[in-house]
Amino acid sequence: MKKILPLLLLSTLAFASLKIETTYSTFGAITKKIGGDLVHVHVLASAKYDPHFIVPKPSLLSKLRRADLLIINGGGLELGWLPPLIRNANNANIQNGAKGFLDISHFIPMIDVPTSVSRGFGDVHAEGNPHYTTDPHMVPLIAKVIEGKLETLDSDNALKYEKNLENFLLEWKEYLTQLDLKMSACKDKKVVQYHELFNYFLKRYNYKSYGNIEPLPGIAPSSKHTIAIINTIKKNSIKLLLQDVYHEKKTAKFIASKTDAQVLLIPHDMGADGSKTLQEYYKNIANKICR
Amino acid sequence: MKKKIVLSTLFASSLFAGAEIDTIKQDLETQKELINKLNVKLKNLEQKSTNRSASFSQNAYLPDIALILNMSVQSRNLSNDDYEKVAMPGFIDSGKIHLPFNKNRGFNFNYAEVAMHSVVDPYFEAFANFHLHPDEFEIGEAYIQTTALPYSLRVKAGKFKSSFGRINNKHQHSWNFDSQPLIYKGLFAPDAISDAGIQLQWIAPTDTYIMFGTEAMQGTNGRSFGNSSENNLYIAYLKSSIDMGEDLSVLAGLSYAHGKNSSSNATDIYGIDITFREQLGSYSALVWQNEYLQRDKELATTTDKQAGLYSELIYQYNNSYSFGARYDLITKNDTDLSTYSGVDTENLERYTAKIDYHPFPMSRLRLSYTYDKSKVIAGERKDINEVMLTLNIAAGAHGAHDY
Repeated sequence: MKKILPLLLLSTLAFASLKIETTYSTFGAITKKIGGDLVHVHVLASAKYDPHFIVPKPSLLSKLRRADLLIINGGGLELGWLPPLIRNANNANIQNGAKGFLDISHFIPMIDVPTSVSRGFGDVHAEGNPHYTTDPHMVPLIAKVIEGKLETLDSDNALKYEKNLENFLLEWKEYLTQLDLKMSACKDKKVVQYHELFNYFLKRYNYKSYGNIEPLPGIAPSSKHTIAIINTIKKNSIKLLLQDVYHEKKTAKFIASKTDAQVLLIPHDMGADGSKTLQEYYKNIANKICR
Repeated sequence: MKKKIVLSTLFASSLFAGAEIDTIKQDLETQKELINKLNVKLKNLEQKSTNRSASFSQNAYLPDIALILNMSVQSRNLSNDDYEKVAMPGFIDSGKIHLPFNKNRGFNFNYAEVAMHSVVDPYFEAFANFHLHPDEFEIGEAYIQTTALPYSLRVKAGKFKSSFGRINNKHQHSWNFDSQPLIYKGLFAPDAISDAGIQLQWIAPTDTYIMFGTEAMQGTNGRSFGNSSENNLYIAYLKSSIDMGEDLSVLAGLSYAHGKNSSSNATDIYGIDITFREQLGSYSALVWQNEYLQRDKELATTTDKQAGLYSELIYQYNNSYSFGARYDLITKNDTDLSTYSGVDTENLERYTAKIDYHPFPMSRLRLSYTYDKSKVIAGERKDINEVMLTLNIAAGAHGAHDY
């Protein structure tokens, strides 16, 4: 035991880099781009699950316990799972309001902000639609915010973070030019979604969403509502049904069988469809929605 | 020649200077105009903001407030009068059973609970839980907790439910079944270990989650402790969790409580628990939870040794439906059972099954069936059958539950 203790201490000293936890993997990937070798990034939520309903596993506490920085999506997306973890991680760095707590939504122009909020409307987010990471044009903004935070926490390496940001922004600008070019060639701009997950992407590329498969946010589809959606799809000759990876797919398939629409499995976060990079993630969305 | 050049350059420069003055003047005018416009804008905005602000409004600091309602309708093969007299041999004497929930055949309104949470300042957060029974007000819990201690430490102080065992600190509305496990009910009664006291928890600096906690409490729980001459209860526990792959998580705990049931007699309680959770999808999971408690209670001349366990399996099918079954068993009952002479006091056990339906995460309907083979009434072993439908509502700003 006497030998183990100094070893443990040594191993923690060896990783003097910033320890960063992000709630979702898109933030994790952006943080890695900006932090490079200077940071150690871990993502709390698996991209295969509904981002609203992540299980607050105790193993996540040992990750949060030692974090220097916690980066969250905000806008209420983590409300159902993150607060008990923050409370039980006994880490002053990452408490709401502390230096090591970063809510990206505070820097995002949120859309779909409801004028009135009641749970009678289902699981609506009072702060607006929190799924802004589906828009690839948000990435530079998120990168800048994260870079600013890394500079504050680790000012010794400020220049390196700045350089990384510069490189990433250049790389991303080029990537977006191609992506926008591809998206501009698409003519069919009518969609129906399961949940309002892709509104930011749709708004960016002038798509119009005609409705959702779920009758209210967080409420399972009903037969009455499904029939109404089928009628909407027929009336407006909609071809694109945007389905996420984690909800049941039966309803979407049923709707597709009754109409000309096609079910498209769209990733809501990097990795949800096995994508390994940010580029691949947004390209996959684009390829599915626009072909 | 030289003169000519000098003169012409002078002339040219003065010409240029004249043109430059004009542009600067023009620029100045535009700037002035711009500044005037900005001034007007600023004035308007200032007026607007002063008109809007309520200088001393504290609305933004209101705590999160939730209202929790719990009610039921049930049928039981026992009249209400008889039910109040049931005994659980060795644990609960006749007339001593405490029945705050679902006591009556027919309709029960169990409680309205007001739960509050608020950040106090950069160092503390506060929780309170006001439990209102139809004819009783109770402060279920009210405590503060630190948020800014170093070295992964956290201190809690106030009236709170101990984190002893797996479920001691859970509120009734978040129990997996509406009734308490037999061993918990036998050793602690429905409020479980809930006292004024202080708690210190520490998370070890390891990659694996290991949490050590210790508590000093007043020890008012009469079933196991209750020495009123001084504070008498000390608790310690160790909890650890590992993930086996992405979807299977295991949480295990060891707990120990040492208190006094009189000024000279000690009570020791040992607990061990293990929970497996296999995530089958975003809304679907299989949870297998097991807990075993043993109590050594010193009396004047002897020491009672009693123990029991429960094992429960919960299958969450989707976000609307979940199914559960639980088995309860008293495994050891070395105590004075002479008041039950002629009564079979072996194999005290119970079976419970339930179906939960959540129309929405904030509301829950639960249909449960209980077959209780642990009770004695009027000198006779009596098997109790119960069918119950409960409705639980958590309205307002109710925080997410722990794992």
